[in-house]
Amino acid sequence: MSVAIDLSRFIRRAYPDKEGSTELTARRIYILPTRYGFLFAVLLGAMLAGSINSANNLGYMLTFLLTGLGIVAIVHTWHNLLGLRIWPEQAKPVFAGQEAYFPIRVENQRNAPRPGILLEVAGKTMSGVDLNSSESGELSLHLPAAQRGIFKPGRFTVSTSYPLGLLRAWSYVELDLSCLVYPEPGPNTQHLTPPSYMPSATGDRGVGTDDFAGLRQYRPGDSPRHIDWKAAARGKGLKTKLFGGDRAEQHWLDWDALPGFETEQRLSRLCRAVLLASESQDEYGLRLPGVIINPARGAAHRHQCLAALAHFRLEPPE
Amino acid sequence: MSRLPHNSIPARILFVHILLLSVAVTPHFQHMSAWLVGFYFALAFLRLVISSQPERLPGRFLLLLLSLCGLGIVALFQTQPIRKETAIGLLVVVLGLKLMELRYRRDIYVTAVIGFFIIITQFLYNQSILLASIMVTVTFGLVIMLVEINYIQPLKSPWLSLRKALILIGQALPIMLVLFLLFPRLSGPLWNLGLDSQSGITGFSDSISPGSISHLSRSNAVAFRVDFTGQIPAPDKRYWRGLVLWDTDGYNWTTGKTIYGKSESYRAKGKPVQYEVTMEPNQQKWLFSLDLPAGKVPDTRTLPDFQIQALEPITKRLQYKLLSYTDYSSSDLSNKKRQQGLNLPDNITPRMHRLVNRWQTNNTSNREVVNAALRHFNQQEFIYTLSPPPLGGNPADDFLFETRRGFCEHYATSFTLLMRIAGIPARVVVGYQGGEINPHGGYLIVRQSSAHAWAEVWLEDQGWVRIDPTAAVAPERIERSIDLDDWAEGAPIRFQNLDPGPLKALIRQFGFGIDYINARWHRWVLGYSHKRQNAMLSLFGLDFLRGTTLGIVMIAVTALVVLVLIMGILHSSRINTDPILKTYLNFCKKLAKKKLPRSSSEGPMDYAQRVIKQRPDLAESVTKITRLYVGLRYGQANTSETRQVFKRLVHQFSP
Repeated sequence: MSVAIDLSRFIRRAYPDKEGSTELTARRIYILPTRYGFLFAVLLGAMLAGSINSANNLGYMLTFLLTGLGIVAIVHTWHNLLGLRIWPEQAKPVFAGQEAYFPIRVENQRNAPRPGILLEVAGKTMSGVDLNSSESGELSLHLPAAQRGIFKPGRFTVSTSYPLGLLRAWSYVELDLSCLVYPEPGPNTQHLTPPSYMPSATGDRGVGTDDFAGLRQYRPGDSPRHIDWKAAARGKGLKTKLFGGDRAEQHWLDWDALPGFETEQRLSRLCRAVLLASESQDEYGLRLPGVIINPARGAAHRHQCLAALAHFRLEPPE
Repeated sequence: MSRLPHNSIPARILFVHILLLSVAVTPHFQHMSAWLVGFYFALAFLRLVISSQPERLPGRFLLLLLSLCGLGIVALFQTQPIRKETAIGLLVVVLGLKLMELRYRRDIYVTAVIGFFIIITQFLYNQSILLASIMVTVTFGLVIMLVEINYIQPLKSPWLSLRKALILIGQALPIMLVLFLLFPRLSGPLWNLGLDSQSGITGFSDSISPGSISHLSRSNAVAFRVDFTGQIPAPDKRYWRGLVLWDTDGYNWTTGKTIYGKSESYRAKGKPVQYEVTMEPNQQKWLFSLDLPAGKVPDTRTLPDFQIQALEPITKRLQYKLLSYTDYSSSDLSNKKRQQGLNLPDNITPRMHRLVNRWQTNNTSNREVVNAALRHFNQQEFIYTLSPPPLGGNPADDFLFETRRGFCEHYATSFTLLMRIAGIPARVVVGYQGGEINPHGGYLIVRQSSAHAWAEVWLEDQGWVRIDPTAAVAPERIERSIDLDDWAEGAPIRFQNLDPGPLKALIRQFGFGIDYINARWHRWVLGYSHKRQNAMLSLFGLDFLRGTTLGIVMIAVTALVVLVLIMGILHSSRINTDPILKTYLNFCKKLAKKKLPRSSSEGPMDYAQRVIKQRPDLAESVTKITRLYVGLRYGQANTSETRQVFKRLVHQFSP
């Protein structure tokens, strides 16, 4: 018979309110000594024993002053978290295999600073911030996104050991954090569909593949062939070369064009195809079983296609 | 972009931290081998030199070598039997080694905690105000260090952490006070480790020989302080009785075998003097009382001749209350005692007999013989000096007839011998005479330089009478203290000038101030004991609290203090609502009572329009208030005048 009890049911967590934020109230804050706090307590015991034995009043005084500090530190550490407001911020979509980055806004509504606010997941410190009075700051959670779809990191911990590091106050926070994870870009598959050429009505727009038209910032998924490696070598960062032409291609990226692959592999290849097509400023559409996205261009279109790939045959987000 | 907490120690924190720890260690130079403390300082110096390059800190092998080296030093300088110095030395060495590992912020915690421990070990040796204030500063500094490393970003200036540390310590002080006052004190130690070493402290031993008191008198150390409840007795009444010496072999005087039996009784005259003595430890058993004591001191016994003897040598500062009568006359003397008071050593010379015989033929009564002896000291060429010439095998004879230079013990012992030759029972009393009144505290300071010896003779009609032959030679001794400031070997004694020069008066005044602070420190801080705690509790009628119950009360009071602290902290951090918004909300509340509540999505202008539509009679005041509010809150019209008008309008508004 299994006696495994889900202890996490008994943990009080901070859940989001209607606006999606949460406030760390008194009942949600836990506090315990750190290991240095325990060391400190053992030391106080030894100091007290010594003071009693030698009836040393200065010894008593130092012992009691440090005891007082320890007690005061409990209140201050707890108070450093009390009433802290936590807001989730929109996480940028990532590709599977990359690290998902969840920005979290912490707001200090108090007219006093709150230094040393830390964010932890599974015992690992992710980030920290010192908040001035009536100021908000950003904490972040970064976790590897393994699978496509909606990535929900779940519970995290906001903690502090300010001011003395002898005690740690923490609160479990369960915010509605989510990050859209696109499929991992797979290998390039040539000629997914035969492109259909259409003359551009308005002539050269600086988008195409023929003539060099300029540089822009590198984006993940850009073809390495188009990277301006000379500029990179000069330490100017990654730049992608843009080419212009008087023609634009329009083509369909089709699920059915990749027979013989498993679902995830197909999605990966389609993902790469979307990236390549959007890179070359082609007009492209996406055809998945049950999903048809008409050909278009631009970042929003790209996101729409990638999101469709990410959500494909997964439970729709609630 | 948020970031991870800095893990390395900023250079400023590292420097200050090591400096603080080193200050905490420094006084141990006085208590243990310089090698031990030197080892620490070598490592601390090394750590500071390589502060900016933690990668150059010693590796595992070198660290092991250093540890062995440190342990070797501890082992080399340990004493048999093991004393506390060994344990403290080990702690100092470990701290030094830990500095070699000081890389990350977490290492600050461990070193700070060891630092606190080293601070408390300093108090085992020295409890002066100076050391205490230095160590309090170091504690404060270490708290600042702890606060600083709990910031995510290294602080640019230390003011924030300094302020926080001040707040923390300020709030810890009341807790400290409660615990200090109420923590149940024990009257003895928990266990005796036998670690305490005796150190040479000046004071009387149980016998005197020529030169022993004059030696003691060269010390300005405080013997004891006295707080009087009432008037301080006149200088010539300030005889502090210590030991009574009966037996002599012609060279040394000792207390002799105590003849127990009926205590000497006396008839007291006048009012008793009430006082409390705070005695410095002297490793001896003698307590000092104003001549003559009445009543008992706990844990002591009073011998028949009014010596007060502690059961154990006095190794800690001792406080006791006593009552004394300075005017008295004692009664009967037993035969045994009379015999003891007449015993003569073997080395009485004929010329001593002749001297006494001469006095006896000229005077009939014992009283007159005593006076003749005093006249002899006064009229002959006797000199009172702190550095008398060395005396041979028969000090009394040598002194009386050859050198004639001596300190009080010479006068007292030779006088006593002469009286015994004359058949008058006599004994030597040793103690202190005089003392300076500290004008700041109104208490008396008795220093070792006031050590004194005098005689007591038995006169039939008066009983034991105090005779101070020194007074016959140097009457100033009784009125004033010896001035040791300008004293040099062989120089005649100088007494404190009653009208000193302005500079000297200033210096003495300053000295009195320092002594006053020290005395209060001893009395109220260091002297707080089991007894004091009981006395304080009984002051509030709480003396039924003892042991465990007192402990529970202590915890309860501490909890109360913490509760007040929490309420204070919560109160001070309340989110302050804008007073203008508050007033406006008040206005809305008034309308809500008239069934016109403002909905949460409604702006002030829309709300006003709706209200006016339903209650045209309020149009004027509602419009005014809303316009003012919008102006105050969103416009430029925020002046103290408009704020006042706004408040008044809302106050007067009654729908």
